[in-house]
Amino acid sequence: MRNKNIAQNGKVRVAVDAMGGDYAPEEIVKGAVLAAQKGDVELFLVGPTNILEKELAGSKFTNGSSIHIVEASEVIKENESPVDVVRRKPNCSVAVAAKMVKAGEADAIMSAGSSGAAAISAIQFIGMLDGMYRPAIVGSLGSFAPNTVMVDLGANADCKPQQFLTFAIVGSVYAKKFLNIADPKIGLLNTGSEENKGSEIGREAYALLKDSGLNFVGNIEGNDILNGKANVVVCGGLVGNVLLKFYESIGGHAKDWTAQKLKRYPPLDVLVKLLFDGLFPATKISGESEKRGGGILWGVDGVVRIAHGASRAPQIANAIECAKEAVKAEVVESLKSELAKFNQGGKL
Amino acid sequence: MTVEEQVREIVAKITHVDKSIITRQSTFKEIKADSLDVVQALVAVEETFGIEIPDEDAQKFQNFGDFVSYVESRVAQVEKV
Repeated sequence: MRNKNIAQNGKVRVAVDAMGGDYAPEEIVKGAVLAAQKGDVELFLVGPTNILEKELAGSKFTNGSSIHIVEASEVIKENESPVDVVRRKPNCSVAVAAKMVKAGEADAIMSAGSSGAAAISAIQFIGMLDGMYRPAIVGSLGSFAPNTVMVDLGANADCKPQQFLTFAIVGSVYAKKFLNIADPKIGLLNTGSEENKGSEIGREAYALLKDSGLNFVGNIEGNDILNGKANVVVCGGLVGNVLLKFYESIGGHAKDWTAQKLKRYPPLDVLVKLLFDGLFPATKISGESEKRGGGILWGVDGVVRIAHGASRAPQIANAIECAKEAVKAEVVESLKSELAKFNQGGKL
Repeated sequence: MTVEEQVREIVAKITHVDKSIITRQSTFKEIKADSLDVVQALVAVEETFGIEIPDEDAQKFQNFGDFVSYVESRVAQVEKV
């Protein structure tokens, strides 16, 4: 059966927020050109037409080929509140991109601009799936824990108890779809394994998870994250984001530490290079989530892929590729059908 | 359905709280509504009643009752016209 979200020509249509990102619009347009060269996407660069036409002029693509320019005169600046998107700048580039998904003119959006503005545009102009309060970010932990994902990785600093249940559902769908785990074990990250541990919100979340029908294994502690006790580690976005960045920094620090220790034995310097640049690339220790569409805002009624603000053209092309893969994998439909079971059971 | 009931339903839906806990005395903080919830509620109420709520007016709302009273008065004005 053909994926209903893909355009008649078989190409996935991605609306690209051309004005979002530290190096926008230049690097965003270059990234879009790189992605378009593969030939299986149709891209909509959203932003001021006159600026984007100039940026596109040097490439082999013209407006209207595989790349189209969609006018959006407003731009959300760094110092502006993301909430302003809704009332003050509803025609900024990321909002217009989101509206294209809602209108069925695009299958996904990609933005390297303010994550908050992208999330708010998605919530307001695309809408949340039934049962989801706010979007969540999921990521696989990769090498040290290949069968473990963590959610939320930073979309929600303050969470309500109900959100932890939605994070568990999102993580469960991710683990089934991308890690092929039939019945993922769900663990709630806490300061102890006992049911009564942690904050009031944590205890309420525990009760909801226990009653959810999911394969809930209870509270897990920080030292359980990498040992596979849970396939889905559920936590608030503040904790998740701090943990993710700490985890991502381990490889580089392990390399520096080992190199420092072996400095006095010059022949062994080669070993460090072999180990960390060859066999176990330090930069790839936690890079798995990128390949699996990390940075997607799960829970929105459309694919929304956010990229780091400092992304250059290759990262932008990769993010567009991830958005395309997420559309093809029908992640939104999978989550929608899973949420429906919980909505019908009155659990959300 | 009265204006108050409609506004309560909108706020409850956006904040994902049971509408029975929203009283006229409830503050947005008490129902755990963040800034996005408030803005979404304002937009939804504007669209539902065909009114405009300037930011400077919205900033004066101390609780749900203030919000409802404001909407009731604006709706009455629109109906008069």
